[in-house]
Amino acid sequence: MKFRATYLLLPFLIPAVAQADAMDDALALIEKHREIPAFVPQGDPFDARTCMADKSVFSIPVTMTIPFAVALEDAMSRAAADVGFRYTVWETQGGMDSYIQGVDQAVSQGYDLVDLAGGLNPVVIGPQLMQAREAGLTVTTTHLYDETQEQADIVDASAKVPFSTVGDILAAWAFVQTDGAPNVLIIGSDDVLPTTPFVESIQASLTEYCPDCAQQYLNVPLAEWGTRIQSGVQSAMLSNPDINFIIPIYDSMSQFVTPALRIAGADVPIASFNGTPFVLDMVREDTVQMVIGESLGWAGYAAVDVQMRQLCGLPVPDDLGIPLVIFDESNIETVGVPANFDDGYGDAHIAGFRELWMLD
Amino acid sequence: MTAGTTNPTAAKPRRSWTKEMERFALLGAWAVLIAVFALAVPDTFLTWRTFSAMFGSQAVLVVLALAILVPLTAGDFDLSAANVLVFTAMLVAVTNVQLGLPIGLSIVLALGIGALIGAINAFFVLFFRIHSLIITLGVGTFLQGLTLWMSQSRTISGISMELVQLVVIQRLVGIPLAFYYGLALALIMWWVLEYTIAGRKLLFVGRGREVARLNGVKVDRVRAMALVTSSTLAAIAGVLYAGMTGSADPNSGSSLLLPAFAAAFLGATTLYPGRFNPLGTLLSVYFLITGITGLTMLGADAYVQSLFYGGALVVAVSLSQLVRGRQPQSFG
Repeated sequence: MKFRATYLLLPFLIPAVAQADAMDDALALIEKHREIPAFVPQGDPFDARTCMADKSVFSIPVTMTIPFAVALEDAMSRAAADVGFRYTVWETQGGMDSYIQGVDQAVSQGYDLVDLAGGLNPVVIGPQLMQAREAGLTVTTTHLYDETQEQADIVDASAKVPFSTVGDILAAWAFVQTDGAPNVLIIGSDDVLPTTPFVESIQASLTEYCPDCAQQYLNVPLAEWGTRIQSGVQSAMLSNPDINFIIPIYDSMSQFVTPALRIAGADVPIASFNGTPFVLDMVREDTVQMVIGESLGWAGYAAVDVQMRQLCGLPVPDDLGIPLVIFDESNIETVGVPANFDDGYGDAHIAGFRELWMLD
Repeated sequence: MTAGTTNPTAAKPRRSWTKEMERFALLGAWAVLIAVFALAVPDTFLTWRTFSAMFGSQAVLVVLALAILVPLTAGDFDLSAANVLVFTAMLVAVTNVQLGLPIGLSIVLALGIGALIGAINAFFVLFFRIHSLIITLGVGTFLQGLTLWMSQSRTISGISMELVQLVVIQRLVGIPLAFYYGLALALIMWWVLEYTIAGRKLLFVGRGREVARLNGVKVDRVRAMALVTSSTLAAIAGVLYAGMTGSADPNSGSSLLLPAFAAAFLGATTLYPGRFNPLGTLLSVYFLITGITGLTMLGADAYVQSLFYGGALVVAVSLSQLVRGRQPQSFG
């Protein structure tokens, strides 16, 4: 009789157990990314100063009018200065003509490597990069591809970003914060190259945690963030008042989500990725619940590591080991007031890379 | 003979009927659009929450469209308006958040600078006799540079909640106050254009500068005031933008320029067809946002919204031209 009763309860017990397991998994993933990271070398040590003595790098950022690209380029310049090789940043304000001009400069001035940084897609200047390669230059990208994406054929090496891992963490956070019943609005921009694997990882993780939970995707092209995110979020909230969590995948989107929620009279938590200072300030002000930050200082050093390994004929690691740190009300004070790009991650990477490059 | 006397009287009512149709066509199209979405998504679209959200969210665009409408009426373009919006929003953020000025003082400063930018536009356009399109394009780009410099290319958040309260949080009949600012501005502009000498002079100048000058209108003064008014209104839009988001970023506001022009041109097909008019502009903004909201609720992709936005503008202006016998358009 006892056995029969338990048997009858099984259909109810199994999902409850599965849910408990999913919750444990999600909490474990979140806890892992709360810690200030230690440096873990992603390749063998090499004598960078000797290898790079006669080498030079020309970096073309997507635009120097966004602080993210400026901070990334600053870090790359610092790393190059530490090693002691020639590193030039093409101070562009964006635009195809200036990218083409940049590649021409790199070729005509005899640089060894041209790097496209901060999201500039090599495909848009494919013919120019082909000419650069024919002239003997190496082509790399920095902070463009997700780790799961294949780089374009005209690229020799890439410093990739773990967008898919970020997606897993965001999904875990939404699952935990909604007590295992997320109804999520995800906002992305399909015209930004890593968006597809990023969004797919959020969707897949959410489905894994909670197969029956609802999710909705809003695609807003980058150029229309200022005009379309607000109306899109309003419409989504009005047509589905049960939405209980919002994930704008790039954190600068948050500034347009906030007024939409105010107008729609909704109080829904927001979590996002990047660690842009003004959004970290919004976490402090309790407008945004959580941001996953990446240390751009660390990313810059890791990108230079990729460039040097490629130029020195060494294997380039797939995983750059750039840490992802969760910032919420519990640790937001560590990012500075006002927040900046580098605080909150420690500085283990500087000593770590110096040792890896045999500089000391 | 009989035919000769009969035809004009027979034609007159037909023409006025067509004109009346034209005047209210957009209003009718808006009603049809609402009806379509009400049938398609009845539970969510046809609610007061939806309409209050639509009304409350478009105030910045309404004010910016009203700003560019003033010089358009006088036959000038103001392409710097969106940059004025971004610059003044950033000025409010920098002075209030970083320099610690009271929000009231930041707003007054922003409006004053807005008027000054309009005066600079007017000086170059009128003194050097250069087309407004060129000067306002140049001044706008210059302001973009100033905004990037002033903000160090960063978004600044943390603008006083007093402003946010007055723009988007406090409500009247469930609609954020921002809507009423736009509505009030549109009504004031309509009254000025219809019932004041200054307004009639503006229309006169727009219809024909030489004729206006020969009739004793000080054309340069009217055009200068139009450009100053435009920049001041754009600064008001900037203050609302800062209040809407509680922050200012150096780039995104400039994407409002084309929708503002779209609303102004679409508005010129309705209520007072063939004439830029504030109430028509107001109607256009809400017609367009109704389409966007309904399409989003139906789950339409982002490109469908652009198709609707651009398509609605081209179709409406073309139909209006057909009704008006395809008269050539002139913008001064």
